[in-house]
Amino acid sequence: MDHAPPSQFAIEVAGLQKRYGEQVALAGLDLRVEAGTFFGLLGPNGAGKTTTVSILTTLARPGAGSVRVSGFDVAWEREKVRRTLGVVFQEPSLDRELTAREHLDLQARFYRLPERRRRVGEALERVGLAGEADRPVRGFSGGMRRRLEIARGVLHRPRILFLDEPTLGLDVASRAAVWDHLRTLHAAGGTTIFLTTHSMEEAETLCGRVAIIDAGRRIVEGTPARLVEDLGGDVVLLSLDPRDGSAGGSADPGEAPDAALAAARSVEGVRDVSRHGSGLRVTVREGTRRLPALLDALRPFCVVDVELRRPDLEHVFLHHTGHPFEPEQLA
Amino acid sequence: MSQVWVDSWTVFLREVMRYRRDRAYWVGQLAFPLVAVAFIGFGLNDVVRLPTGADYLGHLATGMLALIVGSSGVGGGMTLIQDRESGFLRVLLVAPVSRAAIVAGKVLARVLASLMLVGILVGILAVFTPVAAPHPLAALVAVVGITVVFVALGIALGTALRSAESYRLIAAFVTVPLYFLSGIFYPVSTLPAATRLLSWANPLTYGVDLLRYGLLGVNEVPVGLSVALLVVLTGACAAAAVAVLDRGTRD
Ligand SMILES: Nc1ncnc2c1ncn2[C@@H]1O[C@H](COP(=O)(O)OP(=O)(O)OP(=O)(O)O)[C@@H](O)[C@H]1O
Ligand SMILES: [Mg+2]
Repeated sequence: MDHAPPSQFAIEVAGLQKRYGEQVALAGLDLRVEAGTFFGLLGPNGAGKTTTVSILTTLARPGAGSVRVSGFDVAWEREKVRRTLGVVFQEPSLDRELTAREHLDLQARFYRLPERRRRVGEALERVGLAGEADRPVRGFSGGMRRRLEIARGVLHRPRILFLDEPTLGLDVASRAAVWDHLRTLHAAGGTTIFLTTHSMEEAETLCGRVAIIDAGRRIVEGTPARLVEDLGGDVVLLSLDPRDGSAGGSADPGEAPDAALAAARSVEGVRDVSRHGSGLRVTVREGTRRLPALLDALRPFCVVDVELRRPDLEHVFLHHTGHPFEPEQLA
Repeated sequence: MSQVWVDSWTVFLREVMRYRRDRAYWVGQLAFPLVAVAFIGFGLNDVVRLPTGADYLGHLATGMLALIVGSSGVGGGMTLIQDRESGFLRVLLVAPVSRAAIVAGKVLARVLASLMLVGILVGILAVFTPVAAPHPLAALVAVVGITVVFVALGIALGTALRSAESYRLIAAFVTVPLYFLSGIFYPVSTLPAATRLLSWANPLTYGVDLLRYGLLGVNEVPVGLSVALLVVLTGACAAAAVAVLDRGTRD
C-alpha cells in the first residue's frame, strides 16, 4: 500500500472546471476537506455533485484546475488515488447476475483483504443481507441493492469514502439504518467521508461540514450550525389583529403600525423587523428564549398567532443564491 | 507484475461467475456446430471434393469450431457493453486494478470458455467425423490465439460503442467477412484469385489453418508462419485493447 505524502487535507480542489461539450458542469470549484471530516456536498439537481465525485474518483478527467485526493494528483497518480477510495455511486453499479456474496468477495480480492470469508460474512450481516447472500442481485429490491452497494463501498475500510446520494430511493427505516452505519463507521475514526446529497436533512444530520454548490460553483461552506447561525437567527412570524388599529401610525389600515415595528425592535436579540402580511416578520437570535419578551412588547398590538421558524440549510441556500432549493416545492 | 496477475485472476473469476450460469449460451454454442455439421456436412460430403483429397466433413467441422471460438471471443467484448449498462464497469474502473488486468481477466475467461467448448465438441465430433487431435499443441495455440484476438478487438469495439445493438451490428459487419474469407467453408486455395488475396490478408485464415492442422493434420500455410503471425497479432491486439479501454473510459 502506498503511503500518501503527509497532508492535513484528504481532498484539495482548486479552480476545478469541467464541461461536457457546451454544457458547463463545473465552473471553477474550490474545496478543501480535512482528513477525518464527514463532509457534505449539497446542491440541487445538475449542480455538479456527480461530476465532482467522478473527477475525485478518477473516472473523469478534470478540465482545468488542480485536484488532489489523499495527497495524490487525480490526473497523474490515478492508481495511487484508487487504492485509497471506497465509492458508492449514484447510479446502479451491481452485476445483476452475481450474488451479494460474490460482489463482496470480489471487492475483498481487489483490495487484498485478509480473512475474506469472515469479513464478507460480517458485512452481509451488518446490512441485513445475510439471508439473501447467495441469490443473484437480479431479484433484489432497490433498497437491498443500495445496502449491498454501501456494504461494498465500506468493506475495505477505505481512507476516503465517496457516497453519491446514498439514500436516494430508500424508505425511512433503511435510510435511518444507513445513517447509523455511516455514523458508526466515521466514529471509528480514520475515514474521511465525502457525501453528496440534495437532502438538507441528511446533510444536517450527518455532516460535520458542508459546502453548498449551485451551477458548478461553491456558494458557501461551513458547519451546518454555523451556516444557519450566520443567517442571523430564527424567524418569528406574528399575526396581529387587523381591526385593532388603536396604536395608529400605519399608512394602510390592515397593516402593522410603525409603533409595532419599533416595539419589536426594542427587544433584546432582535436583528431585523419587517412587515409580513398584516403582521410582522422578526429575525431574532435564540428565538425560543426571546419569544416571551417579544410577545410582551407587542401586547398592545394584539398578537393573534405566532410561528417560530428555525432556519435550516434550505434557508441558507435561498439566502445565498436568491432562489429556492427545490423550486417546485417552495414556489 | 505479480500484482497484475492477482487482479487479472479476480477479474477472471468474476467473468466465470457470470457466464457459468448462462445455460442458454452453452447450449447454443454446443448445439450450433453439431447441427451445422450434421445437416450441411453430411449432405455436402459426397458432393464436395477437396483438392487435398481430404474429407469435406472434417473441413467443415474444424471450420465450425473456429467459428465458435471466434464467437466466444466476440461475446467477451460484449461483456464490456454489459458492464457499462449495469454500471459494474464503474466499479472495475475505480478499483485499484490496472486496465491491463481488466483486459487480461476478460481475455483469460474467454480462453477458458473457448477451450472447454472446443474440448467438448472435439470429443463429440471425433465420433462421426475425421476430427481428432494429431497435434494438440497447435490446436491449443490456434484456439488461444483466435480467442485473444477476438476478445481484444471486442473490448476495443465495446469501449467505443455504447449500446448492445450497435455492438452486435458492427461485430457482425466486421466478423462475417472475416469468417467467409478465412476458409472455414472451403479451402482458401479453391477460391478465385482475387478473393484468395483477401483471404491471405485475413489474419483469421492463419488461425483457422493452424486449428485444422491441429485437429486434422491438414494445412495450407506453414505451421511456423501461422504460429508467428498469431503470436504477434495476439500481442498487438491485447495492447491496443488496453490502450483503448484506458482512453475510452475517462470522460
Ligand atoms: N456525461 C455527461 N454529458 C453531458 N453533460 C453532462 C454529463 N454529466 C453531467 N453533465 C451535465 O453537467 C451538469 C452537472 O451534472 P451532475 O450530474 O454533476 O449534477 P448533480 O449535481 O450530480 O445532479 P443530480 O442531483 O441530479 O444527481 C448537468 O448540467 C449535466 O447535464
Ligand atoms: Mg448526481
